[in-house]
Order: sequence, then structure tokens, then C-alpha cells
Amino acid sequence: MAQETEYAIEVDRLTKRYGDLLAVDDMSFSVKKGELFACLGPNGAGKTTTVEVIETIRAPSSGKVMLLGMDVTKKKQEIVRRIGVLPQGFSSFDRITVKETIQYYARLFGGKKPDVNALMALVNLTEKAGERYKNLSGGLQQRLGIAIALVNDPEVVFLDEPTTGLDPKARREVWHVLQGLKAQGKTVLLTTHYMEEAELLADKVAIISRGKIIALDSPGELIEKNAGCSILTLRSADARVPEILRALGFQPVLDPDNDKDIKVPVHQNDDVREILNAVQDAGASCSALDLRRPNLEEVFLKLTGEALHESAPRGGGAS
Amino acid sequence: MNLRVIYANLYVKLISVYREKTAMFFTLAFPIILILVFGTIFMSEDNIGFHLCVQDLDQTKTSQKSVKTLEESGKFKITRVDPTASAARYVQDNKVNLVLVIPKGLEKSLMRRMAFKNYSANAVITYVYDPSSSSVPAKVEILNRVLAGINLEISGSPPFLRPVQKSILTKKYRFIDFFIPGIIAMAVMTLSLFGTVDLDTELRQKGIIRKLCTTPITRTDWILSNMLYQFIIALVATAAMLLVSFAVFQVSLHLNGWLLVFILLDVFAFVGIGMILTRFVKEAQSAAAAANAISFPMMFLSGSFFPIELMPSFLQTFAKMLPLYYVNEGLRSAMIFQDNGAALRDCAVIGIFAAVVFIVGLMATAWKEGQ
Repeated sequence: MAQETEYAIEVDRLTKRYGDLLAVDDMSFSVKKGELFACLGPNGAGKTTTVEVIETIRAPSSGKVMLLGMDVTKKKQEIVRRIGVLPQGFSSFDRITVKETIQYYARLFGGKKPDVNALMALVNLTEKAGERYKNLSGGLQQRLGIAIALVNDPEVVFLDEPTTGLDPKARREVWHVLQGLKAQGKTVLLTTHYMEEAELLADKVAIISRGKIIALDSPGELIEKNAGCSILTLRSADARVPEILRALGFQPVLDPDNDKDIKVPVHQNDDVREILNAVQDAGASCSALDLRRPNLEEVFLKLTGEALHESAPRGGGAS
Repeated sequence: MNLRVIYANLYVKLISVYREKTAMFFTLAFPIILILVFGTIFMSEDNIGFHLCVQDLDQTKTSQKSVKTLEESGKFKITRVDPTASAARYVQDNKVNLVLVIPKGLEKSLMRRMAFKNYSANAVITYVYDPSSSSVPAKVEILNRVLAGINLEISGSPPFLRPVQKSILTKKYRFIDFFIPGIIAMAVMTLSLFGTVDLDTELRQKGIIRKLCTTPITRTDWILSNMLYQFIIALVATAAMLLVSFAVFQVSLHLNGWLLVFILLDVFAFVGIGMILTRFVKEAQSAAAAANAISFPMMFLSGSFFPIELMPSFLQTFAKMLPLYYVNEGLRSAMIFQDNGAALRDCAVIGIFAAVVFIVGLMATAWKEGQ
């Protein structure tokens, strides 16, 4: 019998080992109902293993995990009916169309028939209803995966790296869908290694590194508590600018999504003045300038001492 | 067991295979091509005509009569070689594998034997042959039989022992009739084994199984739907093979319930083996190689293509340990001899094997990551 609780997920001292490898190390956290909770960390941090234990796919080595008041090691059949899962690297049957795929998963769950058209509309796939899975772009495949995760009208939705490898446009479309889920009051557990994604969508973020949670709070609080500097962004196509900044002792980073944007951590206003003067003296052009507080990426870097790894984009954008 | 879930899985698999028409065509085409090729070869088995070169050095009525007897045996198409030529050179130059040489003095020797009762008088027929040719032994064997008949005729005494062939079957069956049940058993084996291995490894590698683990589908539902799918594919393939066999070769086979029983057991046994293989061999290529390693010896040693009596005794013993042997024997008992007792015995053996393998396969199928 499920216990009534304000928490959708309660993880207590979870440990998961694969032989000698300690994938999840004594992890504890809880997710309130209706909350969008993000597990943030690089590849191999233990995010997926943690989520798969909660989803009942993997058995924990030790510790206790409760989902909607039920022990995940004992109530698999009850739990799977009340959750929706988009696994990492989601894939489906190549020769089955979008609509047939949603209908197939709906049949597996039984019960009340879902409104397949509404689900397709929710993830903006109505026009692709008759398209076979193998012909969909990476972004469309992910959106189909999200639609499938919702066929049973789940109380808790798990999305394991839903935007990994997608191009920026496709990523934003998936974010839009996730915001819709949040608006519906669903509890969402999201794993990602995109800081921007966690910062934009999550109510609460757990920063995970080497199988442990090293920080857990709302994105705003995490930044507030851990911010040590601001970020100056210079937009310049001049290849000399990064060199000029390095010569001044700063550590510029090129934006991977836009190689004209150069980000520089700065500690005081004098730093900004010094940089601008140096760029002007060198005769380099600068088309835009932005000074902002640090984001989760800097927080992550500060807390873990390691940068988040980003894998190569997967497939084209959404249509 | 949830029938709704089993139906949903079955539907997706059947639609997938239907939409992959090339794969479906080749799946069905392979056994049909085997039937057409072997059927065509063995249909004319009774009319095999070897090319035989004969060099008559005697050039008498007796030697010519002997050559005519060889020709009339229906086994040989005779080419006469110039008596002045060297038989060995002829073999080499003309790329033939055997020249039969009738010696000079054949008629004289025969006269001596017949007229003077001189039984030491004889003639030596020489076979000049190329030992590298594989058809020479068969040719020599037929020649020996024909020459034995000529010897007997020349001796003038009627044979004492006279063989008469009496088949236990009321109807005369041809090789193709024995061949088709073996091909059906073999085709169902390969479809079930490779179908399971390919599907399981593909879905596992693509992560579809992981997704299915987060739905209410159970391992039993999944396996039963796979089984049903493989059974339907096996039935379609069997129907296609039988259709071709009846239409092209007018085979004399009895279609009865045993056919369905043996197909079902064949499917169970080899889907079970497939499930065990995919448990231990995770990569698709390795799994396919392992399936090949199992199916190929089974195909050739269990009597699908030729009777196991042609094999050395230790291989015959080994053949009787192979599950496919009992499907072959069972199908032949049912479809040719209509021997229910023998079919039941074979059914019991393959049934026990299928049950054991299937249960092990069921237990071996991982339905949770990390199991």
C-alpha cells in the first residue's frame, strides 16, 4: 500500500555498484510532487544509474528508494503504471509510424485510452503522424519519446538527457514541451548536462559528480551561494581578442554555440575597464558587450573543478 | 499473461516485417531456392547419363555388341575413341575423366572359352581415368555393374540369386518427397533461431528493451509474443515451401496435424536456444556468429539434406543427439509414412528438449538492466 506523502521521490542513502565500480555513492535527496527536479552532471557522474534505480530498471546495491510512497524494489508493476520514462538515447521500432508507436505503448498500459492526437499535438508531431520512426530527425524522435512517456498520464515523468545531441533549435522545442508538463503540475525528474536547461526549467537542481550529490538547491540559490565572479561576454570576430585577454591574465572561453562570443570571468568593475581598454588599444572591434552574474556552469566548475562534457549533436533540427 | 499486451507486440512485429519486404522475400526465398535446386537435381536422378569414352581395339562383332550393351543400359552416352589413339593422351587432351579400353583379341578369347570350354581365357577391360575427377568412382561403379551383367550373359547360365525390390510403402516415393520435410524442419530452425537472435540483440542495442522495462509488459508477455510471431512466420514459410513443392514437383506428402505440432516444437526449441544465446552474447554480430555455429552443423548432420546412414557411425550417434534430427524424423514419419507411433516418439523427444531449452531461455532473458 502506498503511503501518502508530499514527496513524489525519496532517495535515502542509495548506493549502486558494478563490481568494483561505485556508480552511485550514498546518495540522498527527495523530490516534491509537482516539482521539476534536475540532476546535473557530466557523463559518467551517476545520473542515469540513479534515475534507472528509481524507474525500477536497476536494483540498488543498498539504500532505500520510495516512489509515490512505494518501495521501488517491491512494487515494480504498480510503479510503472504511474510513471512515464524517456530513457537516455531513446529509440523505437524503425518501421512503425509516430501514431502507431504511441498507440502501441498505450496498449501496453491499457486502462483509459489516451487521446493520441492530443499527445501528438502536445509535442508538435501532428504533421508527422504517418512518418516512420527511422525517417524522423533526432529532435522529432526525442519529442516522440516524450509523447510516449506521457501515454499513461503519469504522475512522475523521468526524462534522461532529453536534449543531448540536439541542435539549439530542437533543444528549445523540447524545453517548450517540458515547460508545458510543469504547467500541468507533473513531477518531472530531468537529467542533463546542459546548465542552461537546468537553470531555465528546474525548480531544484542536484549537482552530481562521481556518484555523489555535491550541491542541492534551486538554481538561484546555488548561484547566489557559490558565485564568486561575474561573466563578461564580448562579441567579436577578431581572432586577436582571446589572445589580448589571455595576455592580461584572464581566462576567456569561446561559446560552443556561437564562436563569436567570448566569455571572461571577472571579479570587479576595474577588470571590465581594463579589458575594454586593452581591446580598444589593440584596435580590435567588438560588436556587443554583456556583463552578467555567473550561471550554473560556473557554479559547477567551481564546485567540481571539472567542465561539463558535451557530446556531438544528434541529428537535425525539428521541423 | 496479458493478451492485450501480447497482441500489441505481435502487431508491431508483424507490421515491421511486412514493411520490410526485401527481408521478408529473402527469408522465404532461401528455403524455396533450396527446394527448387535440389528438387531439380534429384528429380532426374533416375535418368543420370554419364559421358563415357570407349576405345574398341578389337573392332569385332563381339566388341561392338559390348559397346551397344553399355549404350543400351541407359546410363551412358558413348563417344567412340579412335583405336590408334593413346587412351591416356586422349583423357588429357580432351578433358574427359575416363576411357574404357576394349582389348584386341576380345572375340578370340571369348571363342576359346565358349568353343573349347577354356575357362582360363579372358579379356582385360581397362579403365584409363583421371583420379582427380570426383565423378569417376560413380562411373566406375555403374560400369562394373553393367560389365557384371555382360559376364553373366556370356556365361549362359541363369542367375541363382535374383534380387527383387519391395518397398514398405504402398506408393513409390521419390527423393524430393523425403527432402521436403527436412527442408521445412531446417528452415523453421533457422527462422526461429536467427529471428530471435537478430530481434533481441537489435532491440537491446537500441535500448528498446530498456524502455519496455518501464512499462507494464512482463518478460513472459514479451517472450510469448515473440514465440507467437516466430510461429506465424514459420507457418507462412512452411506454406510457401509446400506450395512450391506441390506445384513444381507434385510431391506426395500427407498434410496433417503433426505438421503443426512439429513446427511449433521446432519454433519453441530454437527460440529457446536463441534466447539463451542473446543472454550470453550481447553484440549483434557475435550473436549471429554463434547462431551460425549452432545451425550449420545441425543443418548438415541431422539428416535435413541427406540420410544420416551415409555418415560414419560416430557422426550418426552424434546426429541422434541433435534436436533437429527428431524434427526431421518426426515430419517424415508423419508426412510420408503416416506412422503416428514413430511421430509420437520423435515428438516426445523434441518436446522434452524444447521445454527444457525454453524454460532455460525464459530464465536467461534479462528483463532488468544489470541482471
